[in-house]
Parts: sequence; structure tokens; C-alpha cells
Amino acid sequence: MGESTSPFCNLGILDTLTGDSIQEIIESYSNFCANTESLLNGDFSVDSEFACNVHGLCKYGLNSLVRDQFLGSLEETFERNCVSKFWQYFDAYSNVAILNTNEPPVYEDCLQQVLCKALEEISLEKQYQEKCLLVLVHALSDEEHHSNAEKAYLFSKYQLMVSSVLMARLPRHFPEILHWYFKGRLEELSTNVDGEFNYENESQDKDDMDIDERSKVPCRTGKMDIDECGLGKFSENNALVKNIGKVVLNLRSLGFTSMADDAYASAIFLLLKAKVHDLAGDDFRNSVLQSIKDWIEVVPLQFLHALLAYIGESVSYDSPSSVPKSPLASVAPSFYPGSNAPSEGLVRWRLRLEYFAYETLQDLRIGKLFEIIVDYPESSPAIEDLKQCLEYTGQHSKLVESFISALKYRLLTAGASTNDILHQYVSTIKALRTIDPAGVFLEAVGEPIRDYLKGRKDTIKCIVTMLTDGTGGNPNASGNSGDSLLEELNRDEENLENTGTDDDFNIDDKQAWINAMRWEPDPVEADPLKGSRNRRKVDILGMIVGIIGSKDQLVNEYRVMLAEKLLNKSDYDIDSEIRTLELLKIHFGESSMQRCEIMLNDLIDSKRANTNIKMNRSQTPHTGSEAGDTAVSLDNLDATIISSNFWPPIQDESLNVPQPVDKLLSDYAQRFHEIKTPRKLIWKKNLGTVKLELQFEDRAMQFTVAPIHAAIIMKFQDQPSWTSKDLAAATGVPVDILNRRTNFWISKGILLESPGQDLNDHVFTLLEIVDSDESIGNGRNEELLVGDEEGERSVDSVEDQIRKEMTVYEKFIMGMLTNFGSMALDRIHNTLKMFCVADPPYDKSLQQLQSFLSGLVSEEKLELRDGIYRNKYPCWVTSSKLKHLCVFRTVHVLELPLPSNLTHDQLADVLLPVGSTSCLSLIPSSTEAATAPSPLFGEFAEPGITHSPQDILASSSQFHAPMDN
Amino acid sequence: MGFQTEWHAVASWTWDAQDETCGICRMAFDGCCPDCKLPGDDCPLMWGACNHAFHLHCILKWVNSQTSQAHCPMCRREWQFKE
Ligand SMILES: [Zn+2]
Ligand SMILES: [Zn+2]
Ligand SMILES: [Zn+2]
Repeated sequence: MGESTSPFCNLGILDTLTGDSIQEIIESYSNFCANTESLLNGDFSVDSEFACNVHGLCKYGLNSLVRDQFLGSLEETFERNCVSKFWQYFDAYSNVAILNTNEPPVYEDCLQQVLCKALEEISLEKQYQEKCLLVLVHALSDEEHHSNAEKAYLFSKYQLMVSSVLMARLPRHFPEILHWYFKGRLEELSTNVDGEFNYENESQDKDDMDIDERSKVPCRTGKMDIDECGLGKFSENNALVKNIGKVVLNLRSLGFTSMADDAYASAIFLLLKAKVHDLAGDDFRNSVLQSIKDWIEVVPLQFLHALLAYIGESVSYDSPSSVPKSPLASVAPSFYPGSNAPSEGLVRWRLRLEYFAYETLQDLRIGKLFEIIVDYPESSPAIEDLKQCLEYTGQHSKLVESFISALKYRLLTAGASTNDILHQYVSTIKALRTIDPAGVFLEAVGEPIRDYLKGRKDTIKCIVTMLTDGTGGNPNASGNSGDSLLEELNRDEENLENTGTDDDFNIDDKQAWINAMRWEPDPVEADPLKGSRNRRKVDILGMIVGIIGSKDQLVNEYRVMLAEKLLNKSDYDIDSEIRTLELLKIHFGESSMQRCEIMLNDLIDSKRANTNIKMNRSQTPHTGSEAGDTAVSLDNLDATIISSNFWPPIQDESLNVPQPVDKLLSDYAQRFHEIKTPRKLIWKKNLGTVKLELQFEDRAMQFTVAPIHAAIIMKFQDQPSWTSKDLAAATGVPVDILNRRTNFWISKGILLESPGQDLNDHVFTLLEIVDSDESIGNGRNEELLVGDEEGERSVDSVEDQIRKEMTVYEKFIMGMLTNFGSMALDRIHNTLKMFCVADPPYDKSLQQLQSFLSGLVSEEKLELRDGIYRNKYPCWVTSSKLKHLCVFRTVHVLELPLPSNLTHDQLADVLLPVGSTSCLSLIPSSTEAATAPSPLFGEFAEPGITHSPQDILASSSQFHAPMDN
Repeated sequence: MGFQTEWHAVASWTWDAQDETCGICRMAFDGCCPDCKLPGDDCPLMWGACNHAFHLHCILKWVNSQTSQAHCPMCRREWQFKE
């Protein structure tokens, strides 16, 4: 390196140079170079000679040559002695770190040591070079008096050189190594502190200590004086923090400031995230927010405080003054003398960490919101946490989106029963109104549920049941089972009245919500259902009625259900119905409930009339003389007398009740007429309930049944055996209904069914004596067998209705299976959904379909194997079935499995209803396929080739012509 | 086989008038007049000598509204309550 390298070489100066001076410069320069060499190799004895040579050069204005030459030597030495050596330490980790980003390197302890050692070594070297640099600074500043400026300039140059030389050869995996290092250290620290933290919590985990606890934690971190935190307590951690601090310092001094900061920051966030997951988990029944906040104070903030104190956070790191102080000196909290106020950096950190914690917990809870709501109200602590998180982060829309998609995926599926959906809806409202008292986004969340429920047929019925029936509801719906929802809402309302008004709070909350969602609030309608004490409050009942559309529909449905209930009573006990009616009146208005009120009043009047009629009899014993047993029997007749104009249409089916009962009924009606002249009674003989005791030779059995059941069984007093036709005639009931009702007695083992002469005529025989082992059980104990009231009623049960409704689809299903061979449950379900869109649209749940199909299986119409349904028998395609096949409008190509011995007329029967636009391919039915197929199939059963029905028929007529004749 | 039964039957009541509705208020006889809430005993029917029936409350109102002798709103004959 010669003079020419000096950028400040100035020609004017060159002219003034004499030969001597040139000689002097050359000498000084070569000595300076030699001295520099010696200095950098550790020989400080050349100190003064070095200074002389520097002066010698500076005399000629060669200061910049001196600086550049010296820095160049430093760079060369640094690069040679340190850089490769430093990076070589980490070569061993290159694979581990890259391959395993989630798992810490196996030799973590080793990594920690290597990192410390490497940093220590290179820092020592650097420190030494800086010492050399100081020598130069002194030498230069003896000459001029800009020592500080000179020093700053040189040191910044040097720092830049160090960083760039190191950076130039930075291995890719180094940031990861740093990450693992900090992660490992922090986990260690966390484990240590956790032990103390938990111990502390345990020692004062009584509720009344909570306030102390909370006020204590920030206070402690406020001071954050490591010394003050106790000698024993943090001394161990102290060393750990110092260790980490040293690494950070060393990294910073090498110019890896942001890399180091990123590494420990990401380690802290990772640790915090793990902690939040650990504390929160799937436990929804405890609030975790406070524990998380406490932990933030105790672990990461303590650490950061110590670390920032140690490395001197407010100092500019590139300036030479930051470079090594005595570690001990910086540990002393000299940065906040006499003040407990945490540094600005720490305050920022706390905000960052809390925000991160809130967001993490919020995301965790939002992800599990569906489960949380299922668990409501037990899960209300989790809801409360979520509320606080959302208030902090303002990310309410995240909740809305995520929850709606969870609803669609988990709840709004064919498999879920309407009841389940409704109960989840109510739980959702209850749970979310905590978070969203104004109900602004409940609107958004509720919408898909409402839309879905609107498409279900049994929605209104389920809603009314849920509202009014405390016994039939979903057991996991709410804490108080046995309470109707209406009862519960009413109680809530009363509680609210009692606790007084928090209107301000509500309005604030509402405002916060509106701001958060930046949504326009719905126009505030005058809510017909409630005295609007609060301007806008989540109104559960209103939201439920909203599904139905109008309260009239709801009231109407209730009226029908009430009628059903009242008509099936065997007593006049209507206390719970009266209570429900009162509640309904409060919410829906008295006039809406007028008809229901009249119905209940009928029951009250009936009870009174019933008593009067019987009293009348005892006062006028002359009727008793007519027939002794009839008079006695009147005790066994009660009646419900309805004002039919105010009841829903009553099913009036014919029924011949047993003659003695009929006599009783007319006596009863006669007495009613006497008392209430000119009013008369019209019996609805098919309605009501009969408590029946059957007395056999060896046993007595009790049932509560519909009149039709009683009428049927009592016929067997006259004769022990009936054909179904005769029995139908005797009881005045259509045969198909009679057969269905008789099944009840067959299932109880009282009647026996056997085939009659005619295929459609069965014979029912009374079983006077049952098998001996059964008779012991039944007879002796005179077991009370209450007939299954749910299944057999004079009025159709919901299950009956669904079965009836499903029958429409039986033909579709059979046709489908004919066409496709075999199908799984969900495919049948989906196909029905796809094709049966009108008249009547298919709206059944998967479960309903399944139970219907299992009925078809038990009727041996279908076969179920490995979850696949198929026709039990090779299908004999009837024209009616084919007609239904054609309803599948998109199916143009039909494959018809046919038996080969089809006559032309039968084939015409099958094919004529098929539209001429359809294309057919005939295939032999499965049994035919094995044997010799009919020639018919040879022509028309080539796979993939289809024909119009007319073609097939024309061909068939030729084929069949000789055979038919 | 022997039986014991407790029969809880269902019936509807009717005034058994010739017409379905009251000629004055046009409401069903088996319902009640516009002033009443409960049918039956609370809102009885009344027959005139001409055999036309009305809600008691309706015909009383009618009779009281007439300045002179009231006539049956249906047949215009002089109104007499049936004995
Ligand atoms: Zn009237
Ligand atoms: Zn009246
Ligand atoms: Zn008249």
C-alpha cells in the first residue's frame, strides 16, 4: 500500500517536498506499518514509537493515510483472526437448525455454550482491537485537539467495518440459532419463575386475597429492582438474565442489534403464546385472563426489565461509549434512580405483550366458540374473558366470521335435529349478549341459523315446545331443566327489574359496539313484545319469534298443541297450562291469547258441569232404576266439553264405542241438556282417553289408551276371534286404521294376528292365557302397564306425521335404488334434497330419513348391508314406480332392470308413462342376469346404447306377438 | 275376559239453534256476542215467540234501542220473549 492510496494527496504539497522530507515520510511510514503490525499482535511496547511515527506522518498532512492504513490493518487482522473462526463454531448446527424449525436442536445445552464462547472470544478480540484503536486516537489527538471527534469517527468506522465483515459471511441459519438460544434460556427462566409464581398463588389463593394479589404484582414489577426482589429469590435468575444480557450485548456490539432484538422478542412471544394455550386450554369454566396478565408481569416483564437494565436500553449502541462497561456496574438500576416508574421501553413492551396475549386468547376462544356455547352457562368465565379480549383488540368481525362458519359446518346440517339447533341458538344468544349487549352482531350470527330453521318444517312446533314445555325440552339446554324457556325469560326479566337499571352502561356498551363494528344499527322498531325499558336490549323471545316470522303463527301453533294436550287429559288438571298462558299473555298480549283462554276455561267449566251432572244423578235416582249397572257406571265417565268454535279443527273420525259406553254417553248428554237447556252435547267419540283394566283368568293388566283401542279390545268380549273386516265393520273404522290400531294390542301380547282366507283379511284372536313364564311376571304382580301414550293416540303424534310425510318419498327412494342399484344414506338424502324440490319439497333430516329407511328395511322392502341400501327383491318395475322415476327431471337415461318374462302389455304398462323424450336401456333384473336372458335384452341391453320407449315397445310387440296368442 | 273402564270422553256443546249465526251481530251462536269474552253460560241465546234466536245481549240491546214496541229483526213480527 503506497501514498497513492491517500485520497487527500494534494499536488501543491508535493511541490514543497524536499528529498529529505520524502525520505522522512518513507521512513515514518514503514515504521508506522511495522508498529501497527506489532500493536495488533499484542506488543504494546511500541506505543511511544508508534506515536512518533504517527506525528511524523501527520506533520506532512498524511492523517488520512494513517487512519486508512490503520483501519485497513485492523480489518485484515479481524477478518483473518476472527471471522471464519467465529462462524466455524456454528457450522455443526447448520443442518439441525434448518431441518428442525419447530423442535429445538438436540444439543441445546451445547449450543448455548458454543454461542457464549464464540461471542466471548470474538468480543475479546474486538475489545483488544478497540484498545489499539484508542492508541491511535491518542497518537492523533496529541497532534490536534479534536480528540472526541476523532475518536467518534474512528470508532464508528471501526464498528461499521466489524459488522460488515461479519455480515458478509453470515450463515443463513444464524438467526435460528439465536432464536433457539433465547427460547431455551427463556423457558428455563420461566420454569424457575413459574415455580415461585405458583407457590405464591397457592399461598394466597383465597378469593379475598385477590385484590391484594393484583395490586401487588404491578407494584413489584414497578420497582423491578432485582436486588430488592430478594437475595434468594431472583439471584439464580439474576445470573441467567446476566448471561442472556451478555449475549445480547455482545451481539449488539458486533452489529447484530436488530437480529438479537428480533430473536429474543420472538422467543418471548412464543413463550407467551405457549403459556396462554397452556393456561387456557379447553377449560372454559375458569377465567384465565388475570392469570395470563399476572404471568406477563412476573415472567417476561421481569426478564425484560432486567435485560434492558443490563444492556442499557436508552443508549445508542453504535457509539463507543456503549462498548463494554463492567457488567456489574450496569446491573445496578442506575437508569431509574430513585424512581419506580418503568422505562418507556418497558411500558411499550407491556402493551405489546398484553395485546399479543389478548389476541392469542381471543383467537383461541373464538376457535372454540361453538364448544363454549354448547357448554354455556358453565362456560361463562370463558365468555367473559373473550369479551375483555375483544374490547381490547376490537376484532369482533373475526368472531362473527369464524363463528358463522363453525355454525354452518357443525350445526346447520341435515343431521342436527331442529331442537338441537334451536337450543344452540338460544345458548348463542344468551352467551353472546354478554359480549354484545346491544345485539348488533348477534343479528349477523343469528341470520344463518334463522334462515336454516325457516327451511325446516318442525321449527314452529319445536319453538313452541321449547317456549312452553319445561319437560320435553333438551336436557342440556339450560341449568334449570323442568323450566320452560318462557318461565326462564320471565324470571330473568324479574331479576332485571329488581336489580335496577344500568342504562348508562348499556348505552356505552352499545356505542362501543357500533364503533367497533362500524355498522349502522338497525332501525329501532317499537318492539311489540316488550315494554321497552332499555332502548335496545338483546331480546331472546323477539329473536326466536323472528325465526317464525310472526307471533300469530306461534300463537296458532301453541293453540294446536294446547288443544292436543287438553284433549288427551284424563283429568281436569290444567295448572301448568294456566301458568304458561299467563306468561304468553304477558309477552304476546291478552287478545292474541283469547282463544286459548277460552279453551282452558272450557276445561274449568267441564269440571264443574261434570260434577253437577253426577250430583244430579244422585238427587234423582229414578234413572238408576232403568239399568242398575249403567247408573253405577256413570261414575266411570268423565267428559271434557269444548266450545268448538274456539278450538282448532278437531279430527272427527267415526267410531262405534261399545254399547254400554254408548248408553252412558247418551245419559250423560241427556243430563247435560237438562242442566244447561237448551244447550246440547255432540260427542267426539274418537277423542278422549280410556283407562282400561283387562281381567284375564290369570292376570289383570292396565292401560291408558285411545277410545279406538278400547273399542277394539272390548269387542273381544263378544267373541274371542275377529277377522279384520268384521272388526272394522263392528267398530265403524276403516280397515287400514283398524289394522294399525290393532297392532297396539298385538304388541302387548293380548291379541294374536294370523293370516285369514283372504290375503287382505287377517284374523285377530284374543290370548286369554299367556305363556307360563310371562304369566308369572304379569299376573301375580298385577303390573301396571300404562299404554305407551306417545305412540298410540287418537290424534296423530309428530312421529306419525313424519312417517306419513315420508311415505311420499318411498316411491322416489325405491325408484332411485332401482336406477342406481345401491346407495348410502347420505347419498339418498342428498339426491332427495336435489330432486324433490317441489310438491312436497324434501325437508327431512338425515336422522328422519334413516329411521324411515330402517322401517322399509324391517318391512323387507329394502336391504341394508355395510351402510348401503338396495332393493330387497329384484325390482319388478311397476308403471307407478316408473312414473316417479320420471319425476327426476334431470335423469334422462333410465336403466330398467326387468324380469324377462314380461308380456307386451306389462311392458307397455311400464313404458308408456315414460315420456317420449326419455332414453332407455333395459337391463335384466339381477336374478335374470344369472340365467338365460330374454332375447329382448339382447337387443336393448347393450351397454351405453339407449332407445326411446316407443322403439322398445314396437320391437316388443313383434317379439311377443306369437307368444301372447 | 272382563273389563273395567274409566272413560274420559270429549264432546262439544251447541245451542242447537236453527241458524248458525246471530242475525244481529252476525257472530256464531256457539261463539259469543261482540261484548262478551266467554261463550256458553256467559253469553246465552234467547228465543222469541217467532222462534228466532239471538244472543241475549244482542236482542236486549236491540229491544232497548227501539223507541216504540220492538220487532224481531228477522221477521219483523212484534218481539215477544218466548215463554
Ligand atoms: Zn249476536
Ligand atoms: Zn254476550
Ligand atoms: Zn222472528
